[in-house]
Amino acid sequence: MSTELSAGHVFQARVTLAQRWEQACFWLFRGATYLVLLCGAVVFLNIFVKGSRTVFQPTAPFINTAFFTESPESLHVFVWQGKKMEMGDREHRAFVAQHPEAAKIKTEDYVYSAGGIFPCIVGTVLLVVGSMTIALVLGVSAAVYLNEYARDGTFIRFVRLAILNLAGVPSIVFGLFGFGMFVLFFDWNVSLIAGWFTLAFMVLPVIITASEESLKAVPKGFREGSLALGATKWQTIRKNVLPYALPGILTSSILGIARVAGETAPIMFTAAYVVRDKLPWDVDKFSDFFFQGVMALPYHIYVVSSKIPQNEYTERVQYGTAFVFLLIVALIATTSIVLRNHLRNRYKW
Amino acid sequence: MDVPSAATSAGFLANKSKFHLLGLTLDDCIRVFFGGNAVVSVVVLALITIFLFKEGFGFFGQNEGNLRVYRQAGLEYVDIIRAQQDDHTALTRYLSDLRVRQFKTMVGAGKLSPAAANQALAGFDDFAGRFGDAVGPIRGIVSDLTEAATAIKDKFINVENHKEERRQLLAAGKAAAAAAVVIDNVDFSAELKPLLATLPAYKEANAEFSRQLTAVLADAPVLPAAELQVRMERFKQLVREYLAGFPVVEQKLAAWDYTRPVPWYQAFTSFIFGREWLTASFWQDWYGVIPLFIGTLMVSAVALVLAVPLGVGAAIYVNQIATATEQRFIKPGIEFISAIPSVVLGFFGIAVLGQALRALSQVTWLAWVPGFPFSERLNILTAGCLLALIAVPTIFTLAEDALNNVPRSFKEASFALGASRLQTIIKIIVPASLSGIISAVLLGLGRVVGETMVVLLCAGNRIAIPDFTAGLAVITQPVHTMTGIIAQEMGEVVHGSIHYRALFVVGMVLFFLSLLINYLAQRVVRRYRISIG
Repeated sequence: MSTELSAGHVFQARVTLAQRWEQACFWLFRGATYLVLLCGAVVFLNIFVKGSRTVFQPTAPFINTAFFTESPESLHVFVWQGKKMEMGDREHRAFVAQHPEAAKIKTEDYVYSAGGIFPCIVGTVLLVVGSMTIALVLGVSAAVYLNEYARDGTFIRFVRLAILNLAGVPSIVFGLFGFGMFVLFFDWNVSLIAGWFTLAFMVLPVIITASEESLKAVPKGFREGSLALGATKWQTIRKNVLPYALPGILTSSILGIARVAGETAPIMFTAAYVVRDKLPWDVDKFSDFFFQGVMALPYHIYVVSSKIPQNEYTERVQYGTAFVFLLIVALIATTSIVLRNHLRNRYKW
Repeated sequence: MDVPSAATSAGFLANKSKFHLLGLTLDDCIRVFFGGNAVVSVVVLALITIFLFKEGFGFFGQNEGNLRVYRQAGLEYVDIIRAQQDDHTALTRYLSDLRVRQFKTMVGAGKLSPAAANQALAGFDDFAGRFGDAVGPIRGIVSDLTEAATAIKDKFINVENHKEERRQLLAAGKAAAAAAVVIDNVDFSAELKPLLATLPAYKEANAEFSRQLTAVLADAPVLPAAELQVRMERFKQLVREYLAGFPVVEQKLAAWDYTRPVPWYQAFTSFIFGREWLTASFWQDWYGVIPLFIGTLMVSAVALVLAVPLGVGAAIYVNQIATATEQRFIKPGIEFISAIPSVVLGFFGIAVLGQALRALSQVTWLAWVPGFPFSERLNILTAGCLLALIAVPTIFTLAEDALNNVPRSFKEASFALGASRLQTIIKIIVPASLSGIISAVLLGLGRVVGETMVVLLCAGNRIAIPDFTAGLAVITQPVHTMTGIIAQEMGEVVHGSIHYRALFVVGMVLFFLSLLINYLAQRVVRRYRISIG
């Protein structure tokens, strides 16, 4: 007893079994938390490390510009005068024109494994911009109505229930719906505009919920002051509510952008092509712009990871595409998180 | 008299406009516009239901036709005999499995070389060979009948195509061309006559088959190992039961009648309880949702088993135990994970996780884990692990919210009574927020059930009910899921075909499943509000 006490001061409590048990349990919870973070980090690191080999290069300009500016093409691998050659489709054709005897050499072909992913990036940007525009207009107006105009009643409860349920509908069901309604019933075919509406309806609940929260955060006094000065409801909303809620609406909606950019299932049958030679602005007349299908990054990842074999040649485009895509989505998510933390400190009512 | 005019001349900021549209003022118009947008979500939900029904509902009519042809063209008749043949194949497989075991015990004991073991098993092989060959005549009959029935079905489909053609021509107003389309209706009773006439021949072959099997069984070899002899006895028992079933098959065949109507509900039941999803087959297409449903269920179960402890544990840790600094980076970290697109996770599963898990399963000292080692890279386990990563952020965020909502006084009262932190967490905080946590888990489940790309890429895509006799090892088998099958087959089907409509019905099942999960989650939360008081 005395020896135990001599280690510390007199009032030091003995560590009981219960306390040890408690500490063990805490470590268990801590372990679970860090395991989750670790799993996420492993996924990120794996794709970043392997993808950076495609995206970056050791010589100036250090970024593989061809990967960002060219269209996907087939990769031809063959042995030429004892040397292993890897060539994209166009390069190979030029090479064969130069050395006619090369035409006879048997080549291993891998589709989509050469060139770049420029059309996919363009397609994804177009899809995101269009669908977010639609979703923001619809979602913010809906939130304004729900928060500013509506009085609690059966109808509003019904609307809220619909929003809640819409948020739980699987993305593939949205894809089916978009296919049935826009592609077939409206006869828009596989097109940008069909993809826009499908994606917009899918993120609608996210936008509405986020916007409503931001509107709620604007103090009631702002509205009452304005109304007391004789402004109409709309003037109050336009001048005294929306300006203060808008930063919050936009930052929370950025998470919606990440979701739109990341979803594959809804655009599979509504907007995405496996491969398309023309770029979106190569259209005869303006209206064709909306009724053309596009290539998209997430769908391209699906295609290159499931439709072509896995080896050292195809791995480059697979990891490269995943890297670029993950980078874009991660940037969007980071912006949203940082902005939100910043905003939380800015307005204090 | 002067006062109002002075007010107007000063340009009162909020001069009420005189604008009117359909008797509404500007403010009313704006209000209606906003209200209209709020209704959009209701409209979308309604439209989803309508379009799923519009495209999918025709399935049941078409499926009924599909089943009727199955009966009328005699395919059902042939399948009765085929089932008998398949049972025999299963018995043969039992025998070959027995031989493998026997061979292993002989060679494994180190007593015999493989060649000598094969020598010793010659008697067994002879027995197995004779057992296997006995089915020959029956197999011949089945293959003949298959051809005959397929021919009838083809003829019927041909006639249907002609009918369709005529209808289209008539619709296009080309009466003459429509009349020129020859339609000769299929007379099923006449067509089926030769098919049914084979019954005596079948009975004869069956009697011979039965006699041979009995004879073979009489001189079954005795196996040296006692435990294998038990299996041998079991085999004999199975064969005896199989033989006893012969008269039943014959009775079924004799009683079979192509005119027996297909009950209307069978189109539903064959979908909901159908154990086979078989499309584009030369024989008969089956649209049974059970294998897909079980696939979804298995994958979700594995995902939840992993995600619930991790997600809830992390929520408790962050909310109750972690320091403020830790909180500041853990929360965004987990939100970051939720931002990883599912298709990237699916790719990660194909490129890394599948192989890593398989390599792990082949480590010798882990062989005690059920299902290890496995050879399929893409299976329930791979998909489940990735889906867990998708479900964790959802569960974490919502569970953390629920824990946050527990009033501070609960915690303080518990501490005041002398409870430790762990006791407070386990006995006070978690029970108080339990319904919130349950609803978080339910919403996580909804997320997992609806996830498409991960299961499409990583679940293995084999349309079959996994073999549950394997126990826990079932999680290392490949499956196909409801979301996966839509994504995979939708791009390839003909619009308006039965297959196309079947996919929409699967979408309908998914839709209502998600609504049900949502409803349950809301119910749980509503009860929780009351309990906190």
